[in-house]
Amino acid sequence: MPSRTGSHSPTGIGKSLPERGLLLLMVLVLLEGSVIPLGAASSPDTSHQKNVDSHKAEGEKNHTKKAFPVLDLDYHHIQTPFEISLWVLLASVMKLGFHMIPRLPGIVPESCLLITVGLLVGGLIKLAGEKVPPVLDSQLFFLCLLPPIILDAGYFLPIRPFMENLGTILMFAVVGTLWNAFFIGGLLYAVCQIQPANPNELHQLEILPCLLFGSIISAVDPVAVLAVFEEIHINELLHILVFGESLLNDAVTVVLYHLFEEYSAAGTVTVLDGFLGIISFLVVSLGGILVGAIYGILAAFTSRFTSHTRVIEPLFVFVYSYMAYLSAEMFHLSGIMALIACGAVMRPYVEANISHKSHTTIKYFLKMWSSVSETLIFIFLGVATVDGPHHWNWTFVTVTVILCLVSRVIGVVGLTCVINKFRIVKLTTKDQFIVAYGGMRGAIAFSLGFLLKKEEFPMREMFLTAIITVIFFTVFVQGMTIKPLVELLAVKKKQEAKRSINEEIHTQFLDHLLTGIEDICGHYGHHHWKDKLNRFNKKYVKKCLIAGERSKEPQLIAFYHKMEMKQAIDLVESGGGVNLPSAVPSTVSMQNIQPKKPPPAKLVEKALPKMTKGREEEIRQILRSNLQKTRQRLRSYNRHTLVADPYEDGFSELLIKKQKMIALEKKIKDMNYYLTVPAAPPDSPTMCRARLASDPQSYSSKPAMDRVPTIQVDLASPQSPDSVNLMDEFRRVDQQEEDQGLTMKAPSGQSGPNRPGEADRGREQQKLTRCLSDPGPSADEEEEEEPFLP
Amino acid sequence: MGSRASTLLREEEIEEIKKETGFSHSQITRLYSRFTSLDKGENGTLSREDFQRIPELAINPLGDRIINAFFPEGEDQVNFRGFMRTLAHFRPIEDNEKSKNAAVSEPLNSRTNKLLFAFRLYDLDRDDKISRDELLQVLRMMVGVNISDEQLGSIADRTIQEADTNGDNSISFNEFIKASFVVRGNCMT
Repeated sequence: MPSRTGSHSPTGIGKSLPERGLLLLMVLVLLEGSVIPLGAASSPDTSHQKNVDSHKAEGEKNHTKKAFPVLDLDYHHIQTPFEISLWVLLASVMKLGFHMIPRLPGIVPESCLLITVGLLVGGLIKLAGEKVPPVLDSQLFFLCLLPPIILDAGYFLPIRPFMENLGTILMFAVVGTLWNAFFIGGLLYAVCQIQPANPNELHQLEILPCLLFGSIISAVDPVAVLAVFEEIHINELLHILVFGESLLNDAVTVVLYHLFEEYSAAGTVTVLDGFLGIISFLVVSLGGILVGAIYGILAAFTSRFTSHTRVIEPLFVFVYSYMAYLSAEMFHLSGIMALIACGAVMRPYVEANISHKSHTTIKYFLKMWSSVSETLIFIFLGVATVDGPHHWNWTFVTVTVILCLVSRVIGVVGLTCVINKFRIVKLTTKDQFIVAYGGMRGAIAFSLGFLLKKEEFPMREMFLTAIITVIFFTVFVQGMTIKPLVELLAVKKKQEAKRSINEEIHTQFLDHLLTGIEDICGHYGHHHWKDKLNRFNKKYVKKCLIAGERSKEPQLIAFYHKMEMKQAIDLVESGGGVNLPSAVPSTVSMQNIQPKKPPPAKLVEKALPKMTKGREEEIRQILRSNLQKTRQRLRSYNRHTLVADPYEDGFSELLIKKQKMIALEKKIKDMNYYLTVPAAPPDSPTMCRARLASDPQSYSSKPAMDRVPTIQVDLASPQSPDSVNLMDEFRRVDQQEEDQGLTMKAPSGQSGPNRPGEADRGREQQKLTRCLSDPGPSADEEEEEEPFLP
Repeated sequence: MGSRASTLLREEEIEEIKKETGFSHSQITRLYSRFTSLDKGENGTLSREDFQRIPELAINPLGDRIINAFFPEGEDQVNFRGFMRTLAHFRPIEDNEKSKNAAVSEPLNSRTNKLLFAFRLYDLDRDDKISRDELLQVLRMMVGVNISDEQLGSIADRTIQEADTNGDNSISFNEFIKASFVVRGNCMT
């Protein structure tokens, strides 16, 4: 084994990073390949050893005492989880490694590389003489590997384009798959029967197994489509067409598979069976969707009450979805459709209820799981290829591959002719080509084939070989060439522009407009029903499923908030928060997105004339009191509490208020000119403390706020109006008696002796970052009710 | 009702409307029967009240503006020709038409005219600009009463900021076209 490393590694001293990465990759692959057979080999030894030892021990109990084992190797104990972790680690490292190799990711899609790695690992295991673990076990695949990918797809499914093209998608999924299955199955049977002269094993193939094979291989696979289409960034319409088709054809596949499997033993299928099949299709698909929707609503309803236990919010999403999948599978309904329905139904309500952090958690967990799953699936495909009993039959395999291509093309072209009569935005030839070319087969077909029992289907190995060949063909050939073809044909790519508020307004505007026109025409079309659904949703459903005030929030406002939040986070992450104080107020304000525009005039007008000397003293007093509470508090560590989410605590209010604050701050800064003392540079801590000592008011007692006693530093200096911490106005001021005119809320804390300016900057930045990622003390955040200015 | 429709709508009229708007014969007859069913006064024209009697239009936030769009400047009644002319904006663009009408003046349902129709719904004072106030009014209609003026103001400001390229703090028709470029409306191809 080690010698192989030598053959792979590049010689020479000056290895560049990609080469090092490649080397690392190889080492890991070899490690993987060697550990697993070692593990398999050692476990029986260890257990055997244990038995021997125990016997010996019993026998010799009375005589000698075995030495106490200081270090013991017990692989068997942890074998299964260890191997699983090793596979997952391999998958993840592969993903890392591919992007370190210079030009490869551009040419070869990831799925191809992963299958190759799987082949390598499988080959290594086989060479080591060990039995390849049956990794693509159908149980493992359907229950563990597939659901994360589908849930990720369903939760983030773009609902609007999906619904708009639903008719087209359904046509492709249902009629297209049926056509494929019967065409391939029928023609395969016909081909198998010709060759009358020599007795051929193919003659044994009945029509029903052929049709079963056709139905297995005809379904477009969502995993493969996702893997390939993700990298070509095609326009939204085509993406949703092919992807939607791959998701919705699951119902057809399930029904056909079960139908033919059941009846291939009997040998015939009657008309009644066909009729039952149709009914079964309706039950499977609608039942799956219903199950998914029920779980989705349950999840949404549960999320309404999670405001006090934010940590487990993502768990509800995952568990409910997985249970929807399992429940659907239990009844032999379409699990994929259940999962999609569950994700799509629960998403708008759950997102309105859960905290921002939970939302991020859900998003990243889903992406992580689906990514690892996808990688594992492709690697396992490679391993299973090396392992599986193969039976190569030239005729069968080549005919299958050709028929797959031909039937797909004919199917797409034929269906498009019909569909285009009903579509407003017609599908062009280019679109049709991409849809036909993007019909990839993947691991689902393989697993379904794997499920077949050998006794009932003697041709099982031949089927599997053919399936694997088709999969390899579609993934390698079609996957590699689709990108250059897309470029060549100049197919419209995905527009990278983010959704703007203009778009949102305009879309809603158009919806209302078109609904109105439809009503005038008396035509109950697409828009009419969508409008009715929206109204129903707003009036009844949202009230039940969304907690608190957000149930009344119009869609536009929610969208706007999301955008503002994103912008705020971007601002802070890009370091814009560092320059917060008086210098450039406009950059600070997250709400103030038009630097050209002057801040709201009315506040300014009020502020300006009233700033007399006495007023200034008032300001100073209030500032002093505000700045005394420390900001950082040491809380006792409790891993179950999440710091509060700013969003529920009126972050939106915060943003609006902050704009006003910043405006006022600017004005106060201008006020500098009215005060006689010039602004002093930030002092050292010693100066700070010196000032402290002279100011008797600095140590006013704070009412008990259940906090750890902290150092209170008075930072109010006569010359720094920019020590105003304007952001905390929503906190209640405790010394109510001091509030005259300008009311400001005290901040909830501050750090130790800091320089005033820096403290502000630091505080503001801390506040900002905290607000957005870790809002800090929140126990007493309350709604601000008094206006900033009377 | 069918017989009444056919006696009141002559073949020549149907042909004229067909040429002007591009609707097919069957579509015109169907819309004519709808027109007559809306026309409670049976005088061959529709008034604003006739439109407001449609229940769904009453709850549509843009209902009033849509109704206004049917009535030409200053008039209170619209006849069938005017009705069809407005509705013609919403006909899907057909491929064969694009080449045919290249030389002729732009058909009513061209993309530009569709967007112009939508633009005019925003721009009430017809100064070819959507000012901040006009935008605010539309937003207020779409959003309802729960949202404060300041929030709406921020949204309006942001919208204008995104779309405004020449800095006049309002959205002109060209900016409107560009901003709505990415929107795929079903009828507004």
